[in-house]
Amino acid sequence: MRDSRIERLGEVLVDYSTRVAEGELVVIDAHGAAAPLVREVYKNVLRAGGLPLVRLRLEELNDTLLSEGSDEQIDWVNPSSWDIVEGADVLIGLEAYTNTKRLSNVEPARQARLGRAHKAVSDRFLERAAAGELRWVGTVLPTNAAAQDARRSLSEYEDFVYGAGFLDRDDPVAEWRAFGEELRRVSGFLSERGQLRVVGDDTDLKLDCTGRTWIAAAGDVNFPDGEVFTGPIETSVEGTIRFTYPASFHGREVQDVRLRFEGGEVVEATARRGESFLREMIAMDDGARRVGEFAFGMNEAVAEFTGHPLFDEKIGGTVHLALGKSYPETGGRNESGLHWDLVCDLRARSEVYADGELVYRDGKFLGGVIG
Amino acid sequence: MTDPRVERLAELLVGYSLGVQAGQLVRIDGSSEAAPLIVAAHRAALRRGAHAYAQVSLDGIAELHVDRATEEQLTHVSQVERSEMERLDGLLTIWSESNTRSFTRAEPDRQGRYIAARRELSSIRGERMARGEMTWCGTLYPTEAHAQDAEMSLREYEDFVYRACHVAEGDDPAVHWKSVAADLDARARELSSVRELRIVGPDTDLRLLVEGRTWLAAKGERNMPDGEVFTSPVEKGTEGTIRYALPAIFNGREVEDVRLRFEGGRVTAAEASHGGEYLSALLDMDGGSRILGEVAFGLNYEIDRFTRNILFDEKIGGTMHLALGSAFKSAGGENVSGLHWDMICDLRADGEVYADGELVWRAGAFTTPAPGSTRSDAR
Repeated sequence: MRDSRIERLGEVLVDYSTRVAEGELVVIDAHGAAAPLVREVYKNVLRAGGLPLVRLRLEELNDTLLSEGSDEQIDWVNPSSWDIVEGADVLIGLEAYTNTKRLSNVEPARQARLGRAHKAVSDRFLERAAAGELRWVGTVLPTNAAAQDARRSLSEYEDFVYGAGFLDRDDPVAEWRAFGEELRRVSGFLSERGQLRVVGDDTDLKLDCTGRTWIAAAGDVNFPDGEVFTGPIETSVEGTIRFTYPASFHGREVQDVRLRFEGGEVVEATARRGESFLREMIAMDDGARRVGEFAFGMNEAVAEFTGHPLFDEKIGGTVHLALGKSYPETGGRNESGLHWDLVCDLRARSEVYADGELVYRDGKFLGGVIG
Repeated sequence: MTDPRVERLAELLVGYSLGVQAGQLVRIDGSSEAAPLIVAAHRAALRRGAHAYAQVSLDGIAELHVDRATEEQLTHVSQVERSEMERLDGLLTIWSESNTRSFTRAEPDRQGRYIAARRELSSIRGERMARGEMTWCGTLYPTEAHAQDAEMSLREYEDFVYRACHVAEGDDPAVHWKSVAADLDARARELSSVRELRIVGPDTDLRLLVEGRTWLAAKGERNMPDGEVFTSPVEKGTEGTIRYALPAIFNGREVEDVRLRFEGGRVTAAEASHGGEYLSALLDMDGGSRILGEVAFGLNYEIDRFTRNILFDEKIGGTMHLALGSAFKSAGGENVSGLHWDMICDLRADGEVYADGELVWRAGAFTTPAPGSTRSDAR
């Protein structure tokens, strides 16, 4: 059955998120199960005058590579990935897993190896994006697999996903523009501050963002969206943080992660479940022990944890930090094959201080502080 | 459950047809309908030490493109695709339609320009293959749509396809195809010394000059299934009449009961019981479309029926096919045309072929085994 929300999503991704223009090479990188959305995006790219190129992924091929491939095969990077990263004007990523846990039994070291192998390509991608040479957006099409992770029926999950993208509203693009204004007020405020201190349950973390840029993410890179983020000074992170929500990475789940930082580096890492995987990921390379991103999630239409980082990190009233690679446009300089977002709920018993001033309490910026 | 025949086919395609070797760059093209064969071929290529990936097409995208693209979009071929074709060591194309008639209502003009633009990629492929720089094989993964064209259930059609590829059971398929190849090569060498062929059958008496032309064996390297020997006849040397009992299909459209008269190599009279106008239009396409570009013997006796798919039909054991239009340079052919229309002539019931006056083929088989053949099932 046709879902008009998929049609609206196709329009929003092309017209609002990536603003496709005539003659631009638009690569649509999608899982096979995203087919209905691929068709909608394709139609809209044609209408906008772009030159669409579809790259469809079969999830099973990665299973084979990771379970049976030699080191040399895992290390191999398809030259076409370079052609796309260098040649695309716009990249639209459409995720639709049919099984989110398919890589659970693959050796973490092999996954880490694959990540390292593709680091140069993803670095170049982020570099072109930061330089404004390439626009990209990533989104998720609801599947039963993702719904299962979110412990919802598919139709409930569709309501959640499309609700988070304001696609159930009359004019999603206008809603995103208005929300973008709000996010930019916050990022503007934070860019003028340096020291942050986050206090919550089992959490007291200090970081310094002096000179770094805070960016308002309003649906033009991730969709849905709704966060402000930066890359803190790499050596500045001190203290402890406890992540209330389970953290998934490449289909592996880690629960109740607690990290202690000294001089910007993780010096202690524990988890109630998946601790060895956590340690393995942190040991991937030198940058994997440092924070590449720190952000406030501000999308009130995402109220509940669902186990998917795209949504969880946007939950209104949370913060997240990512271990590993930072986004160059923030001024962050951390290098790593890892970028793992971990989310911490601040909606109760929490405070955030900016340069010593209380600016945020129990999940909200204080009205008197930020316009 | 995985069909073990899919694994066997994948191994045959990657090992025998493409000859994939360690370190090579291999791409597998197919629609998402063909996922089981794509996955199996990818695994087979990885096991041989290759770097393999898939380019998966999505049903309906090409139709959408032809329907809605601007002229610039319609004929655009991305540099990404061009570079890829320049790099590949091996390419496997899996045809696997979910609807074989989805282009029926497309504007023929626009579809033509789309196909013509994309021919740039197959030209690169053809040139690189001719220089020995890459291998290519085209095959089919059974779907309901193909089964429907063949007037079979999917299960029956799967049996048909896997039997034709000789992966259904028993011996190593690669061993089978190597022995088929030896037979076909011997047959091709033997035919290359023939000056004139005469085909005699119901309403058929056709003489073809093949002197000086090279017969080639199609032995499972570029198509799977395969099994034919073919050449391009001398352009001015075809005389007489032929009647095609099986429908002649071009771009999905059928013409029934085609009868052609040749004089001095050219079709001078053409009739059909159905689709005569389409036949005339294609014959008038260009200067080469009334001249034969190919004559071939179909020798795959595991293909025993017409299924409306040229990959199989032209190899039906006991048939011949004669194509109007472009010839094969590698066979010594010179005819040039935008057309290459294979029409299949069923010689299984009562047909005879004479080579320089000597009877060499009767009732759907050569009268003598291929020189040096060791195959017990050789016909």
